[in-house]
Amino acid sequence: MTNASIQAVWRLFAGLFLVLALRQFYVQVVAAPQIAARPYNPRLRLLEAYRGRILAADGSVLAQTVGGKRTYPMGPALAQTVGYLSSRYGAAGLEAAFDNALQPADTNGDPAAQLAQIGAAFAGRQAVSHGADVVTTLDPAIETALASELGDHARGAGVVLDARSGAVLAIASVPTFDPNDFDRIFPTLRDDPSSPLLNRAIDGLYPPGSTWKIFTASAALDSGTVAMDATFDDPGYFQIGDYVVHDNEGEATGTQDLTGAFALSSNVDFAQIALKVGADQWEAYARRWGIGDSFDFQLPAERDRMPGTNELYPGILAQLAFGQASLLVPPLRVALLGATIAGNGSEPRPFIVREVVGAGGTTTTAPATLAQPISAETAENVKKMMVAVVERGTGTPAALPNVTVAGKTGTATNPGVAHSWFVCFAPADAPRIVVAVIVENGGYGADVAAPIARSVMRVALGRVKS
Amino acid sequence: MLGALAIAYFAFALVPLHVLDSRWLVALLGCIALAWVVVRPLGERRDDVIPAIAVLLTSIGLIVIARVAPTLAARQLIWLTIALVLAIGAGPAFRRYRVLARYKYVWILASIVLFVLVALFGQEVNGAKLWIRVGTLQFEPIEAIKLFVVLFMAAYLAETADVIAAARPWSLRANAKYLGPLFIGWGTSVGILVFERDVGTAALLLAIFAAMLYVATRRIDLVVGSVAVFGLAAWWAVHHYTYVALRIAAWRHPFADPYGAGYQSLQALFGLGAGGLFGTGYGLGKPGYIPAVATDYVYAAFSEEFGALGGIAVCALFLVLVLRALAVAREKPDLYGRLLATGLASTLGFQVFIIMGGVLHLFPLTGITLPFFSYGGSSLVANYLLVAFLWALSARATA
Repeated sequence: MTNASIQAVWRLFAGLFLVLALRQFYVQVVAAPQIAARPYNPRLRLLEAYRGRILAADGSVLAQTVGGKRTYPMGPALAQTVGYLSSRYGAAGLEAAFDNALQPADTNGDPAAQLAQIGAAFAGRQAVSHGADVVTTLDPAIETALASELGDHARGAGVVLDARSGAVLAIASVPTFDPNDFDRIFPTLRDDPSSPLLNRAIDGLYPPGSTWKIFTASAALDSGTVAMDATFDDPGYFQIGDYVVHDNEGEATGTQDLTGAFALSSNVDFAQIALKVGADQWEAYARRWGIGDSFDFQLPAERDRMPGTNELYPGILAQLAFGQASLLVPPLRVALLGATIAGNGSEPRPFIVREVVGAGGTTTTAPATLAQPISAETAENVKKMMVAVVERGTGTPAALPNVTVAGKTGTATNPGVAHSWFVCFAPADAPRIVVAVIVENGGYGADVAAPIARSVMRVALGRVKS
Repeated sequence: MLGALAIAYFAFALVPLHVLDSRWLVALLGCIALAWVVVRPLGERRDDVIPAIAVLLTSIGLIVIARVAPTLAARQLIWLTIALVLAIGAGPAFRRYRVLARYKYVWILASIVLFVLVALFGQEVNGAKLWIRVGTLQFEPIEAIKLFVVLFMAAYLAETADVIAAARPWSLRANAKYLGPLFIGWGTSVGILVFERDVGTAALLLAIFAAMLYVATRRIDLVVGSVAVFGLAAWWAVHHYTYVALRIAAWRHPFADPYGAGYQSLQALFGLGAGGLFGTGYGLGKPGYIPAVATDYVYAAFSEEFGALGGIAVCALFLVLVLRALAVAREKPDLYGRLLATGLASTLGFQVFIIMGGVLHLFPLTGITLPFFSYGGSSLVANYLLVAFLWALSARATA
């Protein structure tokens, strides 16, 4: 008599429990990844305990997790490059760029990983997955030298490359901050008008000033527009239409051959050289160097800004010759100019992470070439001129005993005091080290940037043997 | 039953030795559970699956409690002993269940007394009054009330079902005469909501009412009426008790106040999310993040470590238990027996649904326990008595 109604209750429960089962599947399998990724999930912090380390080339630690806290032994020296990891403010630098590798494998909602974990548990092992270690090419001694030299100045940056591979040996940006105390100081950093969070070495855009004469001279020689023995006359100024070119490093260099014009950094002579090269060839060489292209670097780096084809009027071209007009590049680009001359005309691809060592194996970054913009012969000639800069030109403060340094100064005009630049490599006959330094509003390249480059070069040559 | 005990034994093998140091107690419990089923009146056939599932679920619950709260697990073992002994002791009484019908007003009176006691002396936990403390002992009267209510309803409806079923829905006089005591039931339910502020308990009681009423009379209007009454009362509660409103807010927007009102349910969600399909493995999850995990969220802890598959398996075990109980109801020759079995099955089924749905964020979580699974002495004793009763009801004379 009541069988039908009992049957109805039977069906009701079958239905209700089916809803439960479906809901269980939905919450634990379908929605699980989104749920687990919420920042309030304490399990994420647990995973961070097993986050991989960031190491220097010699194995010393640049970042590691100790007692649940991420620590950075090099502190301010590499703050922008190694970066930071904050539950509140996210990540930056290598911590962000290599987050996937550093982060332990997250088994949330991954059935295969869970099966492996259960298998390991039955075998009596605790399957804790550690994140991979990121091994950089950075050398702590060179880094310390660069950071401390730059530390005497308010704003600036520097890059040290291994001339043979393009490996970044040191990189620094000032002002900087202590990443070990990031959560507390972030509000101050964010509001600081001098942008300490900015990695000026790769993300700061500056007029390269006379360091760009490396590019101009290369284009002139490589295209056959100008020969090494050509002579130039510099009365101290040069008028193109309404625009007057002045020398701002040396004054009125008089009559000079190409090496003399380069060594004494004559803007007047180089303006004329650029005009001889012409807009078309200028553009062609810019393309060959990959100006404005990605560096294919392992950290996000700013691209160069170069006036477009329809802007290359003679007045602009004349200024581009000595790295002015609206040309803007990051210091890494200037370092690559030096590395290309050092590397017989082949432009290395810069890299900062040598290998990623994880449980599943090791991924190695092989040195590579970005481009071959000029011939070896051109590079050899430009190298000779760069040696002259340090021996008897504007770059004498960068000279080192017992080793031939090739370099180029830059004094980049901008609102306020000029930026002080220096780029150099050594030893000139078999280059191992490239150094590029900028001190914002530092004045003459020879006065401020060149001595810094010299100190860093001395340390670096002692660290990197042939 | 032997099968259930074997599985339970393997389950216990997972528990670290130092947590449940009294291995002999576990063995003894196994013997008691076995004795419970083996020592039965001669000449009867009973559905042994019913006690077997109860033992199995308790074992699974125990290994989870042993993992999240070792001291509670030891106490739970003692409660389990008491529950089993009581279940065996009450066996003869359940066999003569027809006698129980005579005391129907005793049951309703007892539940009203318990209910008043809670309202007066109840301990407030998280805003709801569910517990009574006697010395060091705490118990949840609702666990007893739900059994008493089933006993009363079955007896009362068995006598009056025909009349109620025949009464036309719109005939006030006919309905009032026989439905009066049922309105007391509704009143109790709503009263629990108002005075004890527990929506879950109220929902459970009302659902049991509605299910039994429907089976007895097939009057869908009464079911709809029950739901409407509950809906109104719940709506009122949401607007008058901040604690109820908070729980609903925590359910609707779990991420809005992650360190405040939403903390517990959010941690449970994270636990479930970490579990995935296969779970993290026993002992490898982090259910300790969930506050009051041993009482409110044992099921979340279980699902984190055993995954959706484990959770659905437990869900299925509960469903089999409920459906077996309903099968018992169908087999009974007398209306009273049928209503008893239906009531007991519904009690179990609705309680499981309300708590599991809460844990799985299907609706707001309420304070009632998951039968056999959660830590809690009164819950364990009451549910073992419930199962013992169902098992006794399943008796059929062998040919």
